[in-house]
Amino acid sequence: MKKKYILIILIIVTGLFSCKKNFLDETPLDFLSGDNAYITYSDFTTAVNDMYRVTRAEFYTKDENYPFDYMYGCDIVYDGQPYVGRHTPMASAYSPAGSQNIPGSHWNAFYKIISEANAIIDRSANSTLTDAQKKLVAAQAKFFRAMSYRSLSYLFGGVPLVVHEVTGPKTDFTRATKEEVLAQCIDDLKFAVANLPSIEMVTDGQVNSQAAGHLLSEVYLAAGEFQNAADAATKVISDPNVKLMTARFGSKSSVATGNVYWDLFQPGNQNRKSGNLEGLWVIQFETDVPGGASVTTGQAGNYLLERHVGPNVSLITKPTPNPFLWPVDDLSGGRGVGWAISTKHFSDEIWTSDFNNDIRNANINFVRNFTSNNPASPLYGTIISTQNPPSGITVPSRQLYAYEGKATTPGGHPAALIQNASTGLLKSSAGGTYLDQYMFRLAETYFIRAEAYLGLNNKTAAAADINVVRVRSKANPIASTDINIDYILDERLRELGYEEKRRLTLMRLGLWYDRVKRFNPYYSDALPLYNVWPIPQAEIERNNTGTLAQNPGY
Amino acid sequence: MKKFNSLLIKIMRITFLQIILTLSLCSHLLAKETYAQERLEQKVTLQEKNISIAEALKKIEKKYDVDFVYSPQIVNVSKKVDIISDRQKLADVLTKLLEPLGLTYETKDDVIAIISMHSNISEKYEKIIITGKVTDEETGEPLPGTSVKVKGSNKGTFTNDKGIYTIEVQDLHTILVFSYVGYEEQEHAVENGRIVNIALKQLQGILKEVKIVSIGYGYQQKKNVTGSVASANLESFRDAPNTNLAQNLQGTVPGLNVGPVTVTGSTPSITIRGRNTISGNQNVLIILDGIQYNNSLSALNPDDIASIDILKDASSTAVYGAQAANGVILITSRKGTNGSKPRINFSTSYATQTPSGNIHPMEKDEYLQHVRDLYYTKAYLAPTYTQPDPSFNIALYVDASQRDASNNLVTTDFNWWKAGTKIGFINDNQLSISGGGDKFNYLISGAYTNQAGYIINDLFKRKSLRSNVEVQPLDFLKIGVQAFGSFVNLDGAEPTLADLMQQAPLNSPYNADGTLKPQPFNTTGTNPFLTYDTKDYERHMYLFANVYSQVNFPFLKGLSYRVNYGNNYRTDRHYNANQYGAGLTGSAYKRDEQYYDYTIDNILSFSRIFKKHSISATLVYGAVQRQDEATQATANGFSRLTLGYNDLSQGTNQFTTSSAYSEALNYQMARLNYTFSGRYLATFTVRRDGYSAFAENNKYAVFPSASFGWIFSDEKFGKLPWLDYGKFRVGYGVSGNQTTRYYSLDQVTTQQAYVFGDGGTTVNGQYVGTLANPNLKWERTFELNAGLDFTVLNGRLNGSIDYYNRHTKDLLFQVQIPNLTGYSSINTNVGEISNKGLEVSLTSKNIKTKNFEWSTTVGFSRNVNKVISLLGTGDLISSNLFIGQSLGAVYNYHLDGIYQIGETPPSGFYTGNLRILDINGDGKRTTDDRTILGSTDPAYRFSILNTLHYKKFSLTIFINSIQGGANGYLGDNTQTTRLDDNNIRWNRISGVDFWTPLNPNGRYPMFTNAPTISPSQYFNRSFVRLQDVTLSYRIDNKQTKRLGFKNFSVYASGKNLYTWTKWQGWDPETSSGGLSINGRPLLTGYSIGLNVTL
Repeated sequence: MKKKYILIILIIVTGLFSCKKNFLDETPLDFLSGDNAYITYSDFTTAVNDMYRVTRAEFYTKDENYPFDYMYGCDIVYDGQPYVGRHTPMASAYSPAGSQNIPGSHWNAFYKIISEANAIIDRSANSTLTDAQKKLVAAQAKFFRAMSYRSLSYLFGGVPLVVHEVTGPKTDFTRATKEEVLAQCIDDLKFAVANLPSIEMVTDGQVNSQAAGHLLSEVYLAAGEFQNAADAATKVISDPNVKLMTARFGSKSSVATGNVYWDLFQPGNQNRKSGNLEGLWVIQFETDVPGGASVTTGQAGNYLLERHVGPNVSLITKPTPNPFLWPVDDLSGGRGVGWAISTKHFSDEIWTSDFNNDIRNANINFVRNFTSNNPASPLYGTIISTQNPPSGITVPSRQLYAYEGKATTPGGHPAALIQNASTGLLKSSAGGTYLDQYMFRLAETYFIRAEAYLGLNNKTAAAADINVVRVRSKANPIASTDINIDYILDERLRELGYEEKRRLTLMRLGLWYDRVKRFNPYYSDALPLYNVWPIPQAEIERNNTGTLAQNPGY
Repeated sequence: MKKFNSLLIKIMRITFLQIILTLSLCSHLLAKETYAQERLEQKVTLQEKNISIAEALKKIEKKYDVDFVYSPQIVNVSKKVDIISDRQKLADVLTKLLEPLGLTYETKDDVIAIISMHSNISEKYEKIIITGKVTDEETGEPLPGTSVKVKGSNKGTFTNDKGIYTIEVQDLHTILVFSYVGYEEQEHAVENGRIVNIALKQLQGILKEVKIVSIGYGYQQKKNVTGSVASANLESFRDAPNTNLAQNLQGTVPGLNVGPVTVTGSTPSITIRGRNTISGNQNVLIILDGIQYNNSLSALNPDDIASIDILKDASSTAVYGAQAANGVILITSRKGTNGSKPRINFSTSYATQTPSGNIHPMEKDEYLQHVRDLYYTKAYLAPTYTQPDPSFNIALYVDASQRDASNNLVTTDFNWWKAGTKIGFINDNQLSISGGGDKFNYLISGAYTNQAGYIINDLFKRKSLRSNVEVQPLDFLKIGVQAFGSFVNLDGAEPTLADLMQQAPLNSPYNADGTLKPQPFNTTGTNPFLTYDTKDYERHMYLFANVYSQVNFPFLKGLSYRVNYGNNYRTDRHYNANQYGAGLTGSAYKRDEQYYDYTIDNILSFSRIFKKHSISATLVYGAVQRQDEATQATANGFSRLTLGYNDLSQGTNQFTTSSAYSEALNYQMARLNYTFSGRYLATFTVRRDGYSAFAENNKYAVFPSASFGWIFSDEKFGKLPWLDYGKFRVGYGVSGNQTTRYYSLDQVTTQQAYVFGDGGTTVNGQYVGTLANPNLKWERTFELNAGLDFTVLNGRLNGSIDYYNRHTKDLLFQVQIPNLTGYSSINTNVGEISNKGLEVSLTSKNIKTKNFEWSTTVGFSRNVNKVISLLGTGDLISSNLFIGQSLGAVYNYHLDGIYQIGETPPSGFYTGNLRILDINGDGKRTTDDRTILGSTDPAYRFSILNTLHYKKFSLTIFINSIQGGANGYLGDNTQTTRLDDNNIRWNRISGVDFWTPLNPNGRYPMFTNAPTISPSQYFNRSFVRLQDVTLSYRIDNKQTKRLGFKNFSVYASGKNLYTWTKWQGWDPETSSGGLSINGRPLLTGYSIGLNVTL
């Protein structure tokens, strides 16, 4: 009988076990949480790095359409293939509740960057960082925050100002005025100019005092503070560490058909490492490296500029057989699909005065002569020009149009994308532009200062700045009497082309409708109200305890 | 023909294997007959002096595996006796032992009854003891708890756990009435026999519907249950071609909503009653043999399952507290029976798998016509665009890949869909052996299931092994293990379905040299067969073992302690090597995941009857811990993939990721079941739950419940001739829905973010991905349930009706917040929703004659879901939440056809767009014109099961239906096509009713210009489905009996035979069931099978 009880007790004792007090503590195993992720300097550096990623995504790599909203629906290109993602029809593209949600996509992206910046700024204040580290971290965060608010204010006008990290379910936002938003940007950028290291001190691709100065100058323009704009730009332009490139340099400097403008857009030539002192802030791409965005294993992740602006020569149905193979690793446009056809204004009108002498209009930079690359065609080896196309080929059309060579890398596509080395035939997964991209380049700083001088009614100084850039390109200098905002905008097209976030420039100036109406007849449904985008309807609905006033007309 | 031959050979091979197996089993079991006689011939060796007769008999029972039955009124159990036997026959030993006491024995079948020698005297003393054993007629297994009553009196008893009873009767003319729920009642005259053995026959139709049911941490007689507990009718669907256990439940239990499956071996969606939560967990809690089961139901062999009980209302689910608000499914695996002979069961079946509808892509002519339609402004003449333009050369408008160098259409006509699909099959083989001795029982089973779906490479193979063993080493101690291993093989990758649908008949998958063309259109769209033509290895191993021991305390009758130690282990391995992957550079990966959880439950229970009071109390203290880890290694850029995924180091780019989690629960539960006078019932429970994922400020939660029952048919006034049984029950309880792990934390997302400088190294980036909420807590569901269970008209009609009203508060909700916060939502507790519903289940025995029986079971359920309150700020349009409406509310535009040629649509709209009605009359079409159109929730569901028996034939016909009523059960079936490159080149589903100038009444829009607002189109999904039909024939002539078969049956069955619906597309009930290129067909199966029991 005793044995029985011993056994029973044994079973119960082994069965029962008491849980330790920390049994129910929750410790994430494979991710960090707010508690332990923002403590050391390395934590904050990691957080800063992410703002580069999201900024690159917004302007270059998010997907195959949204980054190009800065180009479509403006005066530079029009839709080869109508689609809301390419702003046809505009009523749908800019609808507050449109299925493509173009305004909403950018709204969300910028506020995400702002939220990352706010987290860094707020959390660094209470961290163990040294004062110097705190300033450096905050300066970088404020740069990105200002860049986002500047973009939001150009696109939407006054937007809600969120300058602290949101930690709860806030739904009662209201719009600040555009002036308040710009004032915030100016504040942040002044801090960034003062506290970011100078350009020669930072690793290639990092934000710096000069880049912040460039942006500050632009925001001053938007705020109508022309003298401040000129001063901020002057500070950048007169900095001995940056200069306009006037002599051949970099990886392809020995290519005889090239020129210095062409050198700016050759592989490896954007960063200071190559000797390029003109780039103020270069967005970094590295092929097939995690975090490098560019991949050869598919299109997603790449900056798909080539895909958009390259003509689609495969669509040529006459003469037969097609004089062009497609897609080929040459100047015929890579794996372009002919979605972004250059407007007549971009491809012809702006070049009339210096068609033959402006190196930016050399065929290698602005491609007009396409050499037949199909050995089966009787035209093989001959040149088909957009200026005088053979019968059957419509110019401009998706099949053929003049485009800027910097969108592609003829003969320089990554090896993994070459399907056939002897013909140069590319794989279908090509279409990316495998180059680092200038976000800010010194040439543009001159244009900003020119605009400031124009605002100050100092046309001589404005012309002088424009001419610095024109002289580099062997274009004839412009007389100060010919300077007006249209000229500056045209000069931007000539110098910056696809590089510019054209929509931001036009909407900053309130000239979007004016320019589209005059220079892009394709968008016949453009309306003055589209000079600012609508507040996304979904955002108005989510903000259900406050009121986000809609922009007029929507 | 070749294909057909190989199929035939396969079938023959399978059949041959089965015959061999069957024969080998037959020979094994030919020996049987006169069980007790054999026992009496046993040689007994025993030397015991001066022990009580009771102890003596017990010793013999234990040592020689026999059962004695006797009444203490006849046998003076404490009488001391001596036994001295050396290899004497048991019969002789018994005689020697009993004779001096005036006793003798009788045997019948396997029962040895000890009776008085002087039966005449007994009669005089009016004391006749009748004993016997009650068994199941079909299985021969004993039926414990069978009621044995003397007809015409209140006198009665129950059989013990071996199915044995003893009862005292007045005279030999007494008639005994044997009844057991789920079995036909049987009467038997005592006459001369002192031993009356009875074999009861199972009732067909309702089967085991009313019986012992699992209520969580214990079992209860169905008739005493006070909550809403239903048992699934597994028997009627055993022969249906289902590979997943949950498929057997589809439509069979009112309130249990099981969806259809379209992927082989996969588990359908399972919900109980209405949707309780907005963004919390919607999964039902599954308990397998007492242990929380978090692995896939596809690991379970349906044949191993004895019963499935469903706890529906909060008063019954409260025993599982914070995890139970979505209902609980209790699965009990089969086990052997003590004291039963080995029972060997073998079954095999073969089923075909074909699509239930006729959805396929367009063929060449229709495809080219679609291109013309898209280009109608060019292919037809203005202004009406109904007359073809003869100058239109379609070759110049098709995709460039579809014309040759001289601009002629290619002659290719390839049927991609045909190449990517074939008739599938299910081959299922089951073998099990079960039985038991005096102190042990066992069940060992093995099964092999092989299924191929309609899409090529949609394959599922499962091997499963189970062993359930229980031993009783000591009188008071039971130790057992319930264990299974399941090995699932999902090797092989399907072609990508959307690509398969979109490839055009004018494009071929092959180059001239027979190799696959990676991108048939020369776009980034890939050849669907690229994924198919890969090395793909996908295996899942599931191991489960619950080791338990139970102590019945000798010092206090009715007190027992049980400990369950359950273990779940799973490994998932998915390896793939694709030479076409990563932009044709070749890609390969290996993914390994391991999951483990354990449950320890300490269950102390006490159950005792004190006169009219019956008490059963249960205390539980337990803990669960779950751990998971996964590692994936990926490489791409292979110069050669000869070694596939086994040498990832050959890839140029290599990536690794890993993840892990751990969570824990700790809980206590107390329950009291109380019965007074057998007809007043009450249950009280309370559970306290602690969970690691509960936020810091709310680690523990308490869930109480109470329920009451009243068997009014046992009252005096309830003794009505037409009323056999009636019970009213009502319960109220609270159960919870726990948060998902890590929901309350501000999770920081880290990733490889950027590379600074040319040739630089990768740097990581991080950001706060979710907002923290330290006050996050479980949802609480308060539910009132009232129910009525009844049997009337002499068992002709029985059923139950349940009404419930549940309110869920503190809803876990990802409330949508402005994106300008940097987040799109925050996890929070807010608001309240209600679900009210009615569930009816009725079974009627329509006809019952000697040769023909027909019964019908009808199930009906209706649930009305309503949002009661939200944030306090009114409707949340962005979250699609509207106060007073259901969670499935459809808030959209009223549509009125399509803008026609010649019409001038309002600004922002174009010809061929859908016409939106200007509801608010402001002359504009804006988001203000949205309104509630209805709901995606069903109005009601019903099912009808007809079971017919004619002699040895039985036929079951099961019809299942979901109805939407006027504006319920809506489904989004938006179809749009527009003139652009992809819509021109892509193929799509044949016969979609697009608008064209020639088809002005087309249902779906087609246009060149996209509208400002693209509304979704909703349609009613109501359907009636002939879901299962099974015809079986049971051969049990004397010939088969002599061979030793207990049962030999053959059957043919069909699944998803026909669906009546107005819905267009794959199927109204499946996900992506509209005219979606991502849809999959619901499969129709025709099966034939064989079932042998030895």
